[in-house]
Formats: sequence, C-alpha cells, structure tokens
Amino acid sequence: MVHHARVTDRQDLAPEIVLLGFDAPELVRVTKPGQFVMTVPRNGETAATALGVYEAQSGRASLIFFVVGKRTRELANLRVGDHLDVVGPLGNGFTIGPERDVAIVAGGVGIASVLLPARAYLRLGARVRLFYGARSAALLVERERFAREGCEVLVATDDGSDGHRGFVTDLLARESPAETILACGPSPMLRAVARVAGECNVPAQLSLEETFACGVGGCWGCVVPLARASAQAPSFPPAAENGSDVVNARICKEGPVFLASELRW
Amino acid sequence: MVDLSVQIGKLRLPFPTLMGSGCYGSGEEFAPFVDLARIGAVVLKSVTRAPRLGNPTPRLVHTPAGMLNAIGLQNPGIDWYLDHDVAKFASRPCAVIGSVAGFSIDDYAYVCERLAARDEIAAIELNISCPNVADEGETFACDPKLTSRVVAAARATTDKTLIVKLSPNVTDIASIALEAQRAGADALAVINTVRGMAIDTAMWRPRLGNVTGGLSGAAIRPIAVLAVYEVARAVTIPIVGQGGIETTSDALEFFLAGASAISIGTANFTDPRIPERIVDELAAYLAERNCHSLAQIVGKANVGFANRHQYEGDEG
Repeated sequence: MVHHARVTDRQDLAPEIVLLGFDAPELVRVTKPGQFVMTVPRNGETAATALGVYEAQSGRASLIFFVVGKRTRELANLRVGDHLDVVGPLGNGFTIGPERDVAIVAGGVGIASVLLPARAYLRLGARVRLFYGARSAALLVERERFAREGCEVLVATDDGSDGHRGFVTDLLARESPAETILACGPSPMLRAVARVAGECNVPAQLSLEETFACGVGGCWGCVVPLARASAQAPSFPPAAENGSDVVNARICKEGPVFLASELRW
Repeated sequence: MVDLSVQIGKLRLPFPTLMGSGCYGSGEEFAPFVDLARIGAVVLKSVTRAPRLGNPTPRLVHTPAGMLNAIGLQNPGIDWYLDHDVAKFASRPCAVIGSVAGFSIDDYAYVCERLAARDEIAAIELNISCPNVADEGETFACDPKLTSRVVAAARATTDKTLIVKLSPNVTDIASIALEAQRAGADALAVINTVRGMAIDTAMWRPRLGNVTGGLSGAAIRPIAVLAVYEVARAVTIPIVGQGGIETTSDALEFFLAGASAISIGTANFTDPRIPERIVDELAAYLAERNCHSLAQIVGKANVGFANRHQYEGDEG
C-alpha cells in the first residue's frame, strides 16, 4: 500500500491551486470515494501530506491542493515523469446509499474529495447537485468537470464574482432539501452544513480536516469528539473528564467522514 | 552475516529498532505498510490507571524540521486495556513493549504490575517524562529522588525488563539516569520530547489546544545525541537512543554516542519504510567495515580525537 507512482499530469488550475495526476493502478483499483492518501516527501521533511483522492480512473489518480507551505510547494514543483510515493488509500470514505436526490457541498479545495462520490451517485441514477463555494470565481476550479459528469452546479463566492454572494451554505438552505448531504471543506462550512442538515432533518456526511501526523491511526493527533453511541466511536470506557457521552475518534482512521448528527464538536 | 540483535535487560531483540511509544499505535496500524517481523519491537501507547480523553485539539503542529504534539495520554485505562486490547498483541510478529504512565508513584506501580503480568507484554517502558499532561506528567523524570522512588516501586512489581524513559527537559540528565539505574532500571530510553510552544500570529493564540507540547523530529536530534552520550558515560545499563532519527547515518550517531538500540517515532510519519531501510543499511554499513556485530560500535565515538583536533586548531 505504498505506491511508487509516476507523475502523468500537472496543471495550475488557479493561482496556487495545483492538480497532480499520477499512475497508480493498484491505488485506483481499491480507492473508495472520500478516501485520502499521504504523499511521502522526498527531502527529509518531517511529515507526509494528507490529500483527498480527486480522480481515480483508468489506472490514474489525481490530487488537488492549495500551495500553502513547503510540503505543498515541493509537490507543486513535481513535473510529468517525476516519481511520487503515496501511501493509501486511507480513511473510511463516504457511504454511497440508495438516495435519489443528493446534495454535495464543497468549499475551496474540498472539491478534491467529492468527485468520486458524485460520480458514484450519478452512476446509480441519482440527481446530484453540487453546492460549490470559494473566495472568488477564479478559485472555483473544476466546476465544468462536475457539470460534464452530470451534476447540477450551484456556486457561491465570498466576493460575488460568480453565483451567490456569500456562503455556499446559504444556497444549500435556500434550495429544496435533498435526501442526503455529503460535504468537504473548511470546518466553519462543515458546521454550517451540519446546522442546515439538522434543520431540515437530512442526514449529512461530513469529511473533516485536521492536521495529521501519521495518517494511519497510530498517533491520536487528529481527533474529534463523537457521541459514544456512534458506530464510528472507538469503544473506549467513559473518561472521568467528560462524563459518559463523548469519545475522541481519530479523523484519519475512524473518519475522515462522520455523520453530522454524531459529532459533538 | 552481521549480527544486529540486541540485549535489553532480559529481552533479546533480532533488530535494534524500536518503534516509539505513541507514534506507532499498537503496530497493527502500520502493518499494511511495514513488515513488522523486520522491526525490533513496538512500544505501545502509554496506558494509565483511569481512562483519559486526552487534550483538546489541535494536538499537532508541524514546525521546522519537526513537530509539536500534545496528545495528552488519551487511552482507555488499564482495566479496559487488559480486557480488550492486550490479547490482540499476541499475534504481532515482533516484540511488544507496554508503556506505563501515571500521576502518582502508586499509579505507576499498580499499572506496571497488572500490565507486566500479561504474557503478551515482553517488557515495560516507564513513561515518567510525558510533557503534555497538566499535572505531574513530567515531574518524575525531572527530579532524581522521584525518579528513584517511582522506578523502585515499579521494579518491585515485575521481573520483566524495565525501560525508563527520561526527559531532556532537565539540567543534568546523567544524574537522573544514574538514579534510575540504582533503583533497578534494566535500560533507559533517551530522550522523550523537548518542551515547546508555537503561537498563531494571526489569531494571537497558542497553536496547540494544550498551549505547550513536546517537540520531536530532526530538530531535536543533536539534543538527543548529546543526552545519550552523557547518559552513556554515567550508567552501565543499555540505552535506547531516540530523537529525530530518520536515516541510517542518524541511527549511527546514536550507536556511536552509546546507545545499544534506537527508537524511531516521528520519521514513521514521513515514510513508514524508514525502519526497514535503516536495518538493511546498517547491516551493509557494518559489513563494509568488517564489523560482525552492531555491539562493536556502541559508544565508540572517538571523543579524544575530537578534543585533540580542537586544541590543534586552537593554537595561537
């Protein structure tokens, strides 16, 4: 499950947003929608970088990321033909169910984790609406791709340069409720999705972000409080500090996708 | 054939590579990426008397050449651990070393006795140096008298190999190492993380939920090499050197400074293949130098040469 991949595609989708494609047939074969990989750094940096798997088809996978620091800069500097080691797939991924009307909410590069679940639902014949928010129009990368796949794409931008001016979750609340919601993006957006989902009593699967160290469940650095009754909660006894109803689950192992109704954050 | 095996107290390991406590889960988390039969031992995450929720997030911050963590000893407590977790360790293809943490001398003795009684546990590491719990976590390893008392109390509960993990956040680590040896430690793990802090300059607040954390990774390697060197000159028991080991060359620094074995933690987060790579390269390195065993190079850093070199350069 450490894949020695070769870079086959590298695109600047927007300023500082890069798509990196690579050959990794075994990874593509086993990756489920919403899972992620750790990219192994080459120059002795201390941590690998966790990134959602964007595309996984015909033996090729891709990642989309913001260039925010040294590690992502190093990834962005890779060229076609370079080698890239990736560990994965990791995490639980989204559960694809029988729902016929699906809302997918993506904020910024959270878009990277929702192509595969969107496609999975589309293949089952579901209506899939993508609610896609970013700071400005230029950062709404890959929106045409989702339209081509068959999604209805509704957009929101902070500056009003495209679509609704404001939060993507305002759009979500305004439109007719779906049967289920899948979301990936920054924590404030996910909290708003959870609120909207709660108000219209629709289940929501949220793909959480947090700083990772190991990415495989070994270090307990990336936890989120979960209802003890949740099927995803580690079966820990009650800790003295918190009574009996909450347990810290690992985002990298039990998640990254959690049911909004079971989070106690 | 180069002999990489190592004797730590009563414990004989085929490889000198331990996986650091709190960095490697119980081993099974890394099994998909690593051949566990080719590592020396997994040191388990520390367990305490009572269940602990751990610290609030963020628990991790990546820093230059390292990272800060403040997990806060999240664990299910010794009762649940013995009932649900320990039996699974029997199937690991490598030795499994239990890690015990606590908040009083009685805690350490109690948890140590119960954990060490299990056949699945090959040895016990006494974590008297966790920097990330609000009360007392690190106090024991920062006080020679408390170190002596807590080690003696744990020693009295088991004949299994007892490894005492020391803190670098002290003035004189050698004196504390000596107290641990006198109190019955079979080996010393040198070092735990170095206390640190990072601040979010946009939000004017600490980056860790716990405010402070423990620094690991390459950033602390020279601190750890020196600590091993100083401890090795003070004690006769084996040392498990640790702190920022990422490559075979890093590992060799620790052996030459006086460590009999090494522990790898943070580097596993960079690339889980690192421990196996180090074992392979270590064997090749020793073979090239006609060394038949790793033990031949332990503590062989030629400090006299370094001093002479310095004086020669200092003339005039």
